[in-house]
Amino acid sequence: MSAKDYSSADDEALVRDAQKSDTDAFEELVARHRDKIYARAYSMMRNEEEAIDLSQQAWVKGWQRLVQFQGESSFATWMTRIVINLCLDRLRKLSRHRAESIEAMDEESGGVERQMPVVTVNPTERLERGELRQRIDRALEQLSEAHRTVLVLHEFEDMEYKNIAKAMNCSIGTVMSRLFYARRKMAALLADLKSEGWQS
Amino acid sequence: MNTEQQLKLQAFLDGELPEKEARDMANWIARDPDAAALQAELRNTRQALSGFEASLKLPESREFYWSKIQREIQRTERAERAKPATSPMLWWRRLLIPVTAVAVVAIAVLLALPSPGSRSSDVVTVLADPGALTFRDEKTGVTMVWLSYGAEKGLANGHSTSTLQ
Repeated sequence: MSAKDYSSADDEALVRDAQKSDTDAFEELVARHRDKIYARAYSMMRNEEEAIDLSQQAWVKGWQRLVQFQGESSFATWMTRIVINLCLDRLRKLSRHRAESIEAMDEESGGVERQMPVVTVNPTERLERGELRQRIDRALEQLSEAHRTVLVLHEFEDMEYKNIAKAMNCSIGTVMSRLFYARRKMAALLADLKSEGWQS
Repeated sequence: MNTEQQLKLQAFLDGELPEKEARDMANWIARDPDAAALQAELRNTRQALSGFEASLKLPESREFYWSKIQREIQRTERAERAKPATSPMLWWRRLLIPVTAVAVVAIAVLLALPSPGSRSSDVVTVLADPGALTFRDEKTGVTMVWLSYGAEKGLANGHSTSTLQ
């Protein structure tokens, strides 16, 4: 009997096989979507090791819950939600172990960011693709976990305010405020503005 | 521009405003250069972020990454199999334990309650000493004690019952 050709099968077929405990089919699904799942974990956690660990946990969870997957969304979307929930759980645990910084609290209550001058340069026009990626990476690093998470869920996951609020267990107003701050800070960082300049 | 206006402008950009408010916001942005500039900044940031995640690649080989997932799947499945199965006998045992406990308590309560026809003069008390029984008649004020074992020291000479007044 010849081995099954998983590489040419679509996701739906692989999911059906995996639901019948076919680990080879599941391995193919992992290979196809592992970068996306890892990227989401990395965007939220900003730590390579932790992102790998959480993405692997997400795959194990995905395997265990595969029978519950009914195909309402794509398999990749379903898996992404699993890794997001794991990241949110981890971030909650981490934040319980350390007090939020004064800066983060100031950001949340509406600090200086609303008074920042508007960035008129468009970073996507001015920067090379590689340089832009590096700058986004560094800028994301400088955001607090709460602001980064809102930004990731909205910009990368296209989640609505109400769904972000539900996932993060906060109000829609807080989501809007955090998102606004995160975007404005990102704009300044991408345009390479110094934070001191915001207050001038 | 106040905070509420700023957040409303953002909601407009994100398509989170109801139709009427969105129309009003579009008109305001068209009239107000500050609002237009802020909208442009927010839009540019969104554009800059699009496609960023696609550039992130997992820094592990396919085989190595999968091997760790596979090991964990196998480990959890082994642990799941090692759990004792829920047999019908086990189910009955689990049910019987609390039911028996409740029944014992109920019987004890029923025994402790005086029966409806009982009279104070018929009360028979079992003393701490299992070999002794007492009977007290409230009317006559007589208490009788039965000793069901052989007489000892002070209660010698064949008297197995004493009467106290």
